[in-house]
Amino acid sequence: MTELYPSAPSAVSRRTTLRAAGGGTLLLGLGLTGCRSAVEESAAPAVADAAGPRRGGTLTVAVNSDFTPSLLFAQSNQSLQQRLIYNTLTRYDDRLEPQPELATSWEYAADGRALTLKLRTGVVFHDGRPFTADDVIFAVKNLQNPVRAAQLRATAAAVTGFEKRGDHELVLKLAHPVNNLFDLFEFMIITDPGSVEEAVAGKRLNGTGPFSLTRWSPGTGLGLKRHEKYWQPGRPYLDGVEIRVVPQADALISSLRTGQSQLSYSVPGRNLATVAGVPGLVVSEYATGGGASYLGVNTSIAPLDDKTVRQALAWAVDRERILKQVLGGYGLASATPWPKSSPAFTEAGRTHYRHDPGKARELLRSAGHTRLDLPLLHVNLPGETALAEAVQYDLQQIGVHVTLEPTDAATAQKKLISQSMPALWAMGHSFAQVQPSTLAVSAYPFNAAKNTSRFRSEEYTRIVREAWTSRATGAGANALRQRVTDTLLDEAFIIDLAIRGSVQVASRKLRGATLNKFSYLNLDDAYLAG
Amino acid sequence: MTTLAPTAPAAARRPRHPYLTALATARGRTGLALVGLVVLAGLLAPLLAGHPPTDQSGLTLAPVGTPGHPLGTDDLGRDLLSRLLHGIRADLGIIAVAVPLGAVLGCLLALAAAVHPAVDTAVQRAFDLILAFPGLILALAVTAVLGPGRLPVVLVIALAEIPVFGRLLRTGILAQRSREYVTAARVGGTSGRRILTRHVLPNAADPLVVQFAVSLTVAVFLEGAMSFLGVGVRPPEPTLGAVLSQSMPHLAQAPHFAAGPLVTVTALVLGLSLVAEALNREIRR
Repeated sequence: MTELYPSAPSAVSRRTTLRAAGGGTLLLGLGLTGCRSAVEESAAPAVADAAGPRRGGTLTVAVNSDFTPSLLFAQSNQSLQQRLIYNTLTRYDDRLEPQPELATSWEYAADGRALTLKLRTGVVFHDGRPFTADDVIFAVKNLQNPVRAAQLRATAAAVTGFEKRGDHELVLKLAHPVNNLFDLFEFMIITDPGSVEEAVAGKRLNGTGPFSLTRWSPGTGLGLKRHEKYWQPGRPYLDGVEIRVVPQADALISSLRTGQSQLSYSVPGRNLATVAGVPGLVVSEYATGGGASYLGVNTSIAPLDDKTVRQALAWAVDRERILKQVLGGYGLASATPWPKSSPAFTEAGRTHYRHDPGKARELLRSAGHTRLDLPLLHVNLPGETALAEAVQYDLQQIGVHVTLEPTDAATAQKKLISQSMPALWAMGHSFAQVQPSTLAVSAYPFNAAKNTSRFRSEEYTRIVREAWTSRATGAGANALRQRVTDTLLDEAFIIDLAIRGSVQVASRKLRGATLNKFSYLNLDDAYLAG
Repeated sequence: MTTLAPTAPAAARRPRHPYLTALATARGRTGLALVGLVVLAGLLAPLLAGHPPTDQSGLTLAPVGTPGHPLGTDDLGRDLLSRLLHGIRADLGIIAVAVPLGAVLGCLLALAAAVHPAVDTAVQRAFDLILAFPGLILALAVTAVLGPGRLPVVLVIALAEIPVFGRLLRTGILAQRSREYVTAARVGGTSGRRILTRHVLPNAADPLVVQFAVSLTVAVFLEGAMSFLGVGVRPPEPTLGAVLSQSMPHLAQAPHFAAGPLVTVTALVLGLSLVAEALNREIRR
């Protein structure tokens, strides 16, 4: 282009170099990490501080992607601000037992078709309006609205009636018993009904959380200040929180190393070795994982409609190598979607498919194939590309020749939701870190009613329904979960590869920062030690 | 009695072609040596590389000097020397097609524009349209339609070069048209097409030769930037930009990962720039 390339040859490349550098920044800025799961609070760095909590100060949190207001009620790849601005009804502890938040107590009806909630009194929104049962009714109805694209809509839709008993007691009536209602309560933020449209436009976020929004600068980050009338006495300790978008991984690490930011959950596993040795930083890994990497299979495309072929693919991939080389060793190689903290996790399930190219070739031959040519879609980010390349190489060893289709994140998400994926795709999923039934009724790849793989099976639907609606506990519940796991392993329409590590990198001065199961950052008790 | 000096051989008196003179300068020779080295490495890639460029192993980020992997390995255990050499080969293959394609199309359009003012207006507006999009925006737009791959990269580079060569040649044609020799040819009854192709074009070609070398440099950058952004050649095929992009998450632990493509791109761009500058200086003399 003439204005860029003047005819005098000495001035060739300056702008082009700058454009290339800018492009690089853009590339590394697209920090889509897929769905992220929560961390165990107990695993957070527990450093005792003799002087006790210190009031004041502003915490800067580095994230690799910006807040997306339109996805306020769905799980997105940046959910840290949810529990800062809003509250949820309950929160899970390490043993997946619900603990009080805005709901102080609850009681199921004998038939499991109703739940009575006692709500916290003295809670006010940032604008001073008191919190009542009407806000809970609105929150549930809001998630039932398909426009909100909430992954837990099926669970919200199971709530078919509301009975208010005053301002702070509410009975939720259910169409049928469900065993993941507290997943909904962990996920569902309580918003101000009057400003919800402004909230999804990013203009005004009015919640009951410990911090109120002062500004959102798209592409730059969020500014939050202490909610002076927060319902927890004396909390939060911090004066404010800055959530700063630092898309490029190296820049994000530099901001942590130099103290410009004090907390991040966005350092890729492959980069953690860089920060692990920095004296002022603490790296903590959590057992709940940070979602899972998987190979998706479109079962409506021949010969992938044959489960023998799908099982051959499952045997062909080297999960341990993927964990080491793609995820930097942070995570867990696993053939099932469950992290170690899940009640559905079993070692037998995790190792059900091992790397056995010989067995994979044999299965492929038994299905009548010696060579297959298949496309594989992946998001064109460095980590996702490395995952796709590793899978491609492993499949090539058994005669499955894969053509990679690098795609931007938004298109990949659209194809995932609209079930228009090619034969294969490699991405990440979440929702395995809470009640196992949630995965099969909420996550797009696994949803028994409508999944990305276009896998339809009356048996799978029945098993999932039973696992979702059963009120069994103990051995009975385990048996149902095992049936879901067995079906997933046998049908292999989603081939899980590895549970991604969920890692917190924080300043040694920071105390008390935790995440809930859906990666909502909780700073109620957090402070910066002197 | 005077003695006539012996007549010098005709060949010795013939002035040397300015391009050869330019390339014989220190600047030109250095440029040619650098470009030649890189081109040779690319051409001999299958012979020099000890491993296929896409073969993976469990040897992650092996350092320089690892037995069997002189430049080490990448994050997926692939031999970096092999990926570098095949990356050079892929890059050269792309720019060797794309830049001449852009140059030829640009020149043809400039010649067509010289035939009639209406065509000139149409061609200039088309050039304006292409120039309205910066190179990488153009790249993203083309790959959004065609998807990533070798063809879109060639198309983007060619598209970006068309107005460059078109405008340059048009300027030359306008300057030459007012010269006396053109008027003489026209008075002599030479047809407009013949004047354009036989008389004007050869005299307007010098800047195009310099621009060609410049455009090769720009093409190296454009291909590298597209691959870096993940909209270039499809993985796992290596290109210099793709290898550089893959190295970014590992810069702190394995700086050698990025060193190969960085040095190569620098050598190639420096070489081409020196050649272009040498040609430009000689032509302007």
